[in-house]
Amino acid sequence: MIVERADLSLPVRYSGLDDILKRVPVSVVWEITLACDLACQHCGSRAGRRRRDELSTEEALDLVDQIAELGARSVGLIGGEAYLRKDWLQIIAAIRSAGMECDLQTGGRNLTDERVAQAAAAGLNAVGISIDGIGATHDRLRGVVGSYEMALTAMRNVRAHGLEVGVNTQINARTLHELRDLMEIIIEAGCHNWQLAITTAMGNAADHADMLLQPWQMMEVLPLLAELASEGRERGLFLQPASNIGYFGPHESRLRNVMNEEIHFHGCNAGDTVMGIEADGTIKSCPGLPSPYAGGNIRDRRLRDIWENAEPMAFNRRRTVEDLWGYCRTCYYAETCLAGCTWTAHALMGRAGNNPMCHHRALDFDARGLRERLVKVKDAEGRSFDHGEFEIVVEAAVREALVADG
Amino acid sequence: MAEAGRIPVPLRLCRGCRQFVRIENESCDFCGGDLAALEAAHAEGVAEIRAVTAALRAAMAAKGGGEAGA
Repeated sequence: MIVERADLSLPVRYSGLDDILKRVPVSVVWEITLACDLACQHCGSRAGRRRRDELSTEEALDLVDQIAELGARSVGLIGGEAYLRKDWLQIIAAIRSAGMECDLQTGGRNLTDERVAQAAAAGLNAVGISIDGIGATHDRLRGVVGSYEMALTAMRNVRAHGLEVGVNTQINARTLHELRDLMEIIIEAGCHNWQLAITTAMGNAADHADMLLQPWQMMEVLPLLAELASEGRERGLFLQPASNIGYFGPHESRLRNVMNEEIHFHGCNAGDTVMGIEADGTIKSCPGLPSPYAGGNIRDRRLRDIWENAEPMAFNRRRTVEDLWGYCRTCYYAETCLAGCTWTAHALMGRAGNNPMCHHRALDFDARGLRERLVKVKDAEGRSFDHGEFEIVVEAAVREALVADG
Repeated sequence: MAEAGRIPVPLRLCRGCRQFVRIENESCDFCGGDLAALEAAHAEGVAEIRAVTAALRAAMAAKGGGEAGA
């Protein structure tokens, strides 16, 4: 999302035009370990066990300095579960000492009061806790009975130590109908930030096709989110749609309104103002992207060299409408949108440039009495950040039967 | 020096149908509305709301001040 940086009340991870021109990795998302205490059905990295060759403490601390040298303003620690790495507090402290903000994105299963206290003392700024649905819905998705209550407890622990707390939610076939009730719980819990993302068909999620939303369901998702965004804003909850939610249609402004109705989706910003890092030092332009997008490893090259010179990091600034295909190639918004979220498009279609998870597109098909349905034609292999393959079937739109009452 | 990132292609919001349209457009590609006229009407509406809000705030402040002084 591009905003006017002069507005200092916005989080530092928001980028401005100046950041794009200088190509500053404003927001760095760093998987510091793949070890995890949850077993999420949608986990793109298939986290669980730590990677064989995760960075040593010395390497991690050196990487912090290299990130700071590039002008990053915010480092988000993810996993796996970041707190399962023994030196996570050292990494937080180093990030803060280097002048950057640091947040933790967590499932919260074992984010005890003691751990939060330690992280706060190390300088952690904020915590985002994953809550996908209510009670059993969340537990099932996260693969651990009781994980919903644990997440709520973690949220209370974070608030008790005065840290900013937000909630991250996966939107999929199992959670969509609980979003409204979940928002009430989030507001009551005192949260002010709610980040939502559509479950992407990567890693474990690729193995659970029944969980994935269909393209035509964007006609339900986008109006709902726009409504929740407006309601939430009035009640002090700031809804932040991930880059894989959109695009355009009549709700774009309401959904993405950050103090300015004219803000709209500008396309994928991977490699322009966003950087992803894997626990073994692999550098990517976005944390979710699969291995073909890896620019190199900090064990082989300096971070600046990878960021500025590695060709796989440059795909976004090289992309033009000519690179698009399928519906996206001739779309009204092609030049601005460039097929939306690269991660989502690649995970579904095997290559970027054509993204069926789009509201404008669903509306266009619907106006012609049609809809798109995704059918899995190839399974994922079972590796971290892998994906299967899907085909798009265009079929007649199925209208809900209206039953007259009385 | 790093190569510049991709400069986003901006769009313009139609105040009639809330769709985004090409910035150089004079009319909306979706509803056909006159973008400048719709923008002017919107600005007028916003100004009106601001004036009413300001008047309401002033009235409330005056009432609050009166009570405090009573």
